[in-house]
Amino acid sequence: MSSVSQMKENSETSKWLDAHYDPVANLYTFSSCIALADLHGDGENKLVVGDLGTGSCNMKLKVYRGTGLMSENTLLDLPTGLVSFLMDQHEPRTPAIAVASGPFIYVYKNLRPYFKFTLPPLEVNALEQDVWNQAREDMIDPLSLKEMLEGIRDKADVPLSVRSLRFLMLDPQDTEAFVNLHKAQPIRRQTVITCIGTLKKNMADEDAVSCLVICTESKDVYILDPEAFTILSKMSVPSAPTQMDVTGQFDVEFRITVACRNGNIYILRRDSPKPKYCIELSSHPVGLVRMGKSVVVGCAQETLQGFTQKGKKLWTACLPAPVTTMGVMDLPTRGFQAVLVGLANCEVHLYRDKNLISTIKTPDVVTSICFGRYGREDGTLIMTTKGGGLIVKILKRTAVFDDRDSAPGPPLAQSIRLNIPKKTKLYVDQTMRERENAVAMHRAFQMDLSRLRLAAARAYVKALESSLTPMSSSLSEPLKMNAVVQGLGPSFKLTLNIQNTAACRPVMNLAISFLYDESLYSMRTAFFKIPLLVPGLNYPIDTFVECLSDKGISDIIKVFVLREGKSAPLLTAHINMPVSEGLALN
Amino acid sequence: MADDNPVADVQLPPASEIRKPRPKKVSELPILERRNWLIHLHYIRKDYETCKSIIKEQLQETGGMCEYAVYVQALILRLEGKIQQSLDLFQSCAILNPGSSDNLKQVARSLFLLGKHKAAIEVYNEASQLNEKDWEISHNLGVCYIYTKDFNSAEEQLNIALELSKHDLTYMMLGKIHLLEGDTDKAIDVYRSAVEFSPENTDLLTTLGLLYMQQGKYQKAFEHLGNALTYDPNNFKAILAAGSMMQTHGDYDVAMNKYRVAAYAVPESSPLWNNIGMCCFGNKKYVAAISCLKRANYLSPFDWKILYNLGLVHLTMQQYASAFHFLSAAVNLQPKMAELYMLLAVALTNMDDGENAKRSYEQAVLLDDCNPLINLNFAVLLYNQGDKKGATEQYLEMESKVMESSHNEEFDPELIEMAQKLASALQVGETSVWTKPGKDSKVSQHFKTTSLQPLGTNQALGQAMSSAASKSIQLAAGSKAPPKSTSAPLDDVENAPSPPLGDPESEDHKAKEKKKSKPKPVAE
Repeated sequence: MSSVSQMKENSETSKWLDAHYDPVANLYTFSSCIALADLHGDGENKLVVGDLGTGSCNMKLKVYRGTGLMSENTLLDLPTGLVSFLMDQHEPRTPAIAVASGPFIYVYKNLRPYFKFTLPPLEVNALEQDVWNQAREDMIDPLSLKEMLEGIRDKADVPLSVRSLRFLMLDPQDTEAFVNLHKAQPIRRQTVITCIGTLKKNMADEDAVSCLVICTESKDVYILDPEAFTILSKMSVPSAPTQMDVTGQFDVEFRITVACRNGNIYILRRDSPKPKYCIELSSHPVGLVRMGKSVVVGCAQETLQGFTQKGKKLWTACLPAPVTTMGVMDLPTRGFQAVLVGLANCEVHLYRDKNLISTIKTPDVVTSICFGRYGREDGTLIMTTKGGGLIVKILKRTAVFDDRDSAPGPPLAQSIRLNIPKKTKLYVDQTMRERENAVAMHRAFQMDLSRLRLAAARAYVKALESSLTPMSSSLSEPLKMNAVVQGLGPSFKLTLNIQNTAACRPVMNLAISFLYDESLYSMRTAFFKIPLLVPGLNYPIDTFVECLSDKGISDIIKVFVLREGKSAPLLTAHINMPVSEGLALN
Repeated sequence: MADDNPVADVQLPPASEIRKPRPKKVSELPILERRNWLIHLHYIRKDYETCKSIIKEQLQETGGMCEYAVYVQALILRLEGKIQQSLDLFQSCAILNPGSSDNLKQVARSLFLLGKHKAAIEVYNEASQLNEKDWEISHNLGVCYIYTKDFNSAEEQLNIALELSKHDLTYMMLGKIHLLEGDTDKAIDVYRSAVEFSPENTDLLTTLGLLYMQQGKYQKAFEHLGNALTYDPNNFKAILAAGSMMQTHGDYDVAMNKYRVAAYAVPESSPLWNNIGMCCFGNKKYVAAISCLKRANYLSPFDWKILYNLGLVHLTMQQYASAFHFLSAAVNLQPKMAELYMLLAVALTNMDDGENAKRSYEQAVLLDDCNPLINLNFAVLLYNQGDKKGATEQYLEMESKVMESSHNEEFDPELIEMAQKLASALQVGETSVWTKPGKDSKVSQHFKTTSLQPLGTNQALGQAMSSAASKSIQLAAGSKAPPKSTSAPLDDVENAPSPPLGDPESEDHKAKEKKKSKPKPVAE
């Protein structure tokens, strides 16, 4: 019986075979830098990873085959994106790898460098060009060059080139060397690629020739010819793109869905240089995936949203944790499509529309996801983790995904019993007693309450009469006093803080006297006079008390503030002396 | 050989790193924006630590000229609560790129968060000159105006924002303005169009439901609250509001089911425990009810509604001394509520303190102007004390109140019954006051009594009243057997609520009392 239930429990997790897990593969990459491709035309797909190394150096293009690293190529700069694409009709039909990095695309064929594409330079400010031309001919000195460039920077529509900006940051003594070094070169303004994708040229086949689609920091989208690497089409969006999804064919009709840094998603179509539709999200898109005819977006606000191709919102699903990455799971042989969502709580959720159909637990937070054919296995899920691990899982052929939502119905909490505090038998007994004797209880209570009030009132009156309050109530000498005892014993320091709270009248002729048990304590002076008290100032008065007993007992010392010629004290304070620990130890 | 390779690997890159860029730098200076995409990628994935280290490197490399790195650093600082620092950074962004409305928007946002609403408004106005058709600017301007109490400008700006692009948040704010102005109808209109625009937003649905509830449109309220619960079964506010309405209709078990979800999500909410307690009370689990109410009272000791309910439950339990304490505490917190004085009087009556009970009733009658129950109970007390004249006066007062409100309201049969008995005892009034003669005749048949017999139970006030009234009357009649006097009302208590002849209205009063205590805390 128990084994059956265990089997059922396991069936959720055992949809996948754990093919490979290397926690120290040392991969720092994103979904955009991973591809699966049959690089050698031998029917076996390899895993190509653009590794960001440490984030500043050691960038590599890594190729995995099976569970092992097959080859490594050093990259010069951080890879932003990596795609595999077929660039020509030659046999054997081996795909090329395009790695976008800075302003360049490096194309590898057979894992050998094949071509380097450079983004067209941006327009250079004409004034800036002029100024540098003058500098080249030594017509102006660095100082005036600096002034002129600053003027241009503040006004011009076209921003300055890197060189000018760098020049403006320099210390005056370095400027000359800088100008001499750079003035011979022409000024260029370059931008960088932010994402890369592929678009089939004119056929929808699996092995059709594809164009490269690139987005740049300068908010442009270019489509490149696969053979000549010329720019076939240029479009622009209102903000810098971060991710993109491309579908269709270049010669027929296509849609480029671009998620941008301003939190909006723009949809571009053929024959329109500007976006056709715009989706305004309330938070940044982290993942963007197309599933059939809808666009699925994972937002930073822990939601997954579905939109139509025209940007109309279809549905929203809440996620339990922030999205880290997203991927599409496409099994054409089974006609199955779903969206893989990597979450920051070490889970990967599988969504079909807004229905959660399966969950995969991972040992670490997943940062990139790729699903497809690896080796000779069609349903392979490849993930890399934040700690640099590489996970390969294979979908079991027997695995079936129920199409229904696995998180519906009443919330779990509904079946949790309410924690209502229990009452004891004693309580019930007391209830019974109250029922029987309510009148007597009430009367006794009212009587005691009255007595309590009376006692409180009496004590209050007595305190007022014997000036036990910390503030003196007399109008002519408004005084405030508090006492502090310091020390561990046997000698204590007793500090009395006395303050005259009158607005402007000083108080004179006051004295302090102490009353204490002389067998327990001794004081050097048990009576002294206080100087004139200026209103508002705090007068700390110190005196020392010696404890005579070694039995660990303590007593009260009474302090009286007296006025000369009057026997009733103005203020009285009772100081509870602490037990003398010094003597107790001896 | 195998060992050599990795070593070479490790050494090579730094070497190339140092050697290659240096000589090349002559021709190629690094592009300022080259790592913007990486910063952004880490920022949106909430990987702030990595993000900060990349930003630091990038700023070192560019000498602080990389606008986007500064921008994201400021965003992260703001998330960390260092708003002043973020403001400084955004301002330097605005200097680096004065043409970007985005930078100005962020400057204004930081000013807003610092509470400098006037300054924020100025900067937003500046930003709107750069980019006129931005809903975000209009929306935020509206929000700033709300804080500066300029509701007209706020409304104007929010409407502009809605025209440019519809967002739930804008609707929320617009509704809030109308509520602040006290115009519930307009607020409802706004929320209705908001719900049309985004039918799955549970916050909007719940707010709309609560507003309908305030207006007494319970059908519509329930519809919207129900919708909210379908989309988000864990919505605390909606659960509490819907639960209280279910309770009103006596669906205690369904309400309890909902409360379980709420109790899991927010275990320390006093209105929730109050409602759970009254659910137990409705199910006649009195000890559990007291437990729950006491927890609610512990969680918010100064809420008079909880004390009121505690008093009511203790009256039902015949713990009059305890009831007195809770009720007098409630009176101290809320001295303007007639029903409280009435309950206090009932407790006092049961503790043989006729004098104070009378004074309490007098106070209740003074404060109240529509509840006939108070006058009826007062009349019963006076009658039992032998003050026939006073009793008649109160009876007539009650009749006039009934006449005033008798359009559609159905009265508790117990109340009617009691009134009729009192009338025959006092030999005044006619039965024609009561709207349903058919039912009355049946009830009076059932209870044909002479004036000297105990006047029976008055269930009008839940079971509490019933025991109060019958006991006091028995005392007046000089009944001999005290144990009987306690058991008789107990039986009544047990029987009364369940049989009431399948008439749901019979529990109306009790429910009303609960209602009073429920929706209010919910709506807050």
